[in-house]
Amino acid sequence: MRRALILVLLLGGVRLVLPLGSGAEAPYALLTLGFLMLAAYTVAEIASTVKLPRVVGYLIAGIVFGPALANIVTVEASTTLAPVTSLAISLIAFLAGAELRWSEVRDRIGAIGKILFAELTLTFALLLGLLLALRPMLPFAGSGWSETFVFSLLFAAMAIVHSPAVTLAILSETGARGSLARTVLGTVLLSDIVVVVVFSATLSLAQALTPPAGFGAQITAGAVAWELLGAVVVGAALGAAVSLYLRFVHKELFLFALLVTFLGTEVARMLNVEVLLTLLTAGFVMENVSQRESGLALRHAMERAAAPVFVVFFALAGASMHFEEFLSLWPLVIPIVIVRAAGIRLGSAVGGWWAGMPRRESRNVWTGLVSQAGVAIGLATVVAEVYPARGAALRSLFLAVIAVNELIGPILFKRGLAAAGEIPGTPSESASAPAPAEAI
Amino acid sequence: MSSGLILVLLVASSFVAAHFAFERLGKRYLIVSGAEYLALGILLGPQVSGIFTPALLDSLAAFPALALGWMGAIVGMRFYLPELVRIPAFTYRIALTESLLTIAVVFALEAVAFMWLFDISLLLATPPALALAAIAVSSSRETYEIVSRHFGEGTFVTQLDVSTAVNAFVAVLTFGCLLAAFHMNPTGAARPLTATEWVVLTAAIGLIGGALFHLFLGGEANIDRLFVALAGALILVSGAAAYLGLSPLLAALFFGFMLVNTSRNRIEIAAALTRVERPLYFVLLIFAGATWQPSLRAWVAPVLLFVFARAAAKIGAARLSARAERSLPLLGADWGRALLGQGGIAVALGIDYLQQEHFAFTHVVFTAVVASVLLTDMSSARLARSVFASVPESDGAA
Repeated sequence: MRRALILVLLLGGVRLVLPLGSGAEAPYALLTLGFLMLAAYTVAEIASTVKLPRVVGYLIAGIVFGPALANIVTVEASTTLAPVTSLAISLIAFLAGAELRWSEVRDRIGAIGKILFAELTLTFALLLGLLLALRPMLPFAGSGWSETFVFSLLFAAMAIVHSPAVTLAILSETGARGSLARTVLGTVLLSDIVVVVVFSATLSLAQALTPPAGFGAQITAGAVAWELLGAVVVGAALGAAVSLYLRFVHKELFLFALLVTFLGTEVARMLNVEVLLTLLTAGFVMENVSQRESGLALRHAMERAAAPVFVVFFALAGASMHFEEFLSLWPLVIPIVIVRAAGIRLGSAVGGWWAGMPRRESRNVWTGLVSQAGVAIGLATVVAEVYPARGAALRSLFLAVIAVNELIGPILFKRGLAAAGEIPGTPSESASAPAPAEAI
Repeated sequence: MSSGLILVLLVASSFVAAHFAFERLGKRYLIVSGAEYLALGILLGPQVSGIFTPALLDSLAAFPALALGWMGAIVGMRFYLPELVRIPAFTYRIALTESLLTIAVVFALEAVAFMWLFDISLLLATPPALALAAIAVSSSRETYEIVSRHFGEGTFVTQLDVSTAVNAFVAVLTFGCLLAAFHMNPTGAARPLTATEWVVLTAAIGLIGGALFHLFLGGEANIDRLFVALAGALILVSGAAAYLGLSPLLAALFFGFMLVNTSRNRIEIAAALTRVERPLYFVLLIFAGATWQPSLRAWVAPVLLFVFARAAAKIGAARLSARAERSLPLLGADWGRALLGQGGIAVALGIDYLQQEHFAFTHVVFTAVVASVLLTDMSSARLARSVFASVPESDGAA
């Protein structure tokens, strides 16, 4: 309460200062960023008192003070702060990759593959069926059946994507390192690669069936292959370079961590390879090639940098949520969210059964797969670029769906981890906590 | 292979090579330097590889203000009153006299040089000359740390500690007043604000921000959460000052001063601030290198004058102030050499000046800072070693 009151005073102070300023964008963005961080911190504190994940607090702060409501963080300020978001995504990807040890991947890859196959297939099929059933209501529906089918295919291909950022943030907040946490992390990371392939294939099919009017970048199989394989090659080279630095220099790790993520992103963009996969691979190679202590030291340096970055990333994500679209499209959004969650739940249960996972784990895997964030928005933007008119309508609906999934996903995942007894300090933890050797 | 990738590889290998080279030089010749980061910035910047394009640097424009604020808060945190009152008053008098004499000498010389070289009025020459004077006052704590490791405690070490703190305070305050005095008034204000009002506003941002944050923080003990909240508060303070066209360094200095004297968590806050001090300094160096442009105007004379005038003023002012307080036997005649290192505050002030588009000679001032930082960083440890010899043995052992 005290913090909320001070926040109101600060808000008053900011309002007083604004008329005296020059109106320059960069300092204004900084001013609002500082306020947003304090606001996110305060709302996260309130959220944690009611057992909600802090991430949700950050998102709510972003919504409240973003363009949709208070408009302290304006659209222009969000644009100016885009490099922060970009850095955050790269940092998250590198950290996610560094969480994976080869021995663990080898042991879990079969189970993760089965869960992923069942979950993605079922969710995709259910969503496609739902969209076709709701055809008269769809904002992107065309005059003919085939056009509606094509855009529904695209929507379903985008909607199956998950959020590595939310997964990592929740794992970081809760300190969960058990079997469920590792399975969800592996599934989410692997799904990133699969989804890019599925999406690219679907977009190519869409372009063949419904050619874009006027223009539209043709996505070829070769380009997709390069985007993915190139990312693995570039990421591996970057990870090896990081390992060399750790072995021979091993200094200023905090600064080095920021430079690696920044340069990694720039290199990936220059070479037109998938940025997330590049950083993910780099983190994975660094963790598995470096001496364990060196890798750990860099990870700790990155985690130190990541704490404020997570706050900013999610608060800005909240600020860019499209609630006005939700308000106008909610009769469509709610069934889509429910069917997607049902597909994920059913699919992961089937996959878990197929892989012979313990019931306690397979029952809760779905909770970690509901969240959606940055990658999904990126895919929607690609569609809007290829199909400017109907793609934009599709994007609006999709952003409204993301807004809901982004809010409920972290809550579900935290509950899932608690139910599996993987959050340190929860009553059931002692019953199921893995031995230190298992927990990575 | 694309040219962009070749450039990245070139920059990366140059950086590693420079790092090794400076490490070897550092071990052999006692060089304490972040010069490789400055070199990295120049290599990455638009002048060489262009990996940091002007557009990219513009998009990162908010970052320097944050770094400046962070450094200002660290300076402010050094003024913890209950500890300061235990130090004898003559120590402060020496430090303050040395700072003011240095400012006066460097300002006078640089003002004359600018007026003569560029045929401009005193009014036009004042901002660059005063900025250089403020920058000249600041001195690195690197030498103090080396000397204190060598001597432990004693009058000389205490004097260095106080002098570096007072130097930083005077430098930041002078620079903050310069920005207030030559402020470009916004068009939206009901009436133009006076220089005094701008200075009061700068102090108010820091002091009120510090007081509110002290209440906001309460008894927060978790270092990660403390770090996030502190970063938010500092970004807010720095952003507010930068938005008003004031000095983020000065506003944050007041913020740090308020926090250290009111908060129960002052040790944790200081730890949270200092844990990124060094990386921030290096990032500022990289940014400085990337932003640096060889000045199109005749910069050689003002830059050389700055380097030599500063060295002479520092050593002379230190000797005079110690003599005035009859402390020469305790400090030694050349104790001012220990204040020659420039360090982070100088880079921060240089970048702050560079961002003031309405001031003249921004790149001349910035080039002077870069030259001085490089020179003094490389020689600061050797200077410290030379200082060891000049310190009276009786005090050194104290």
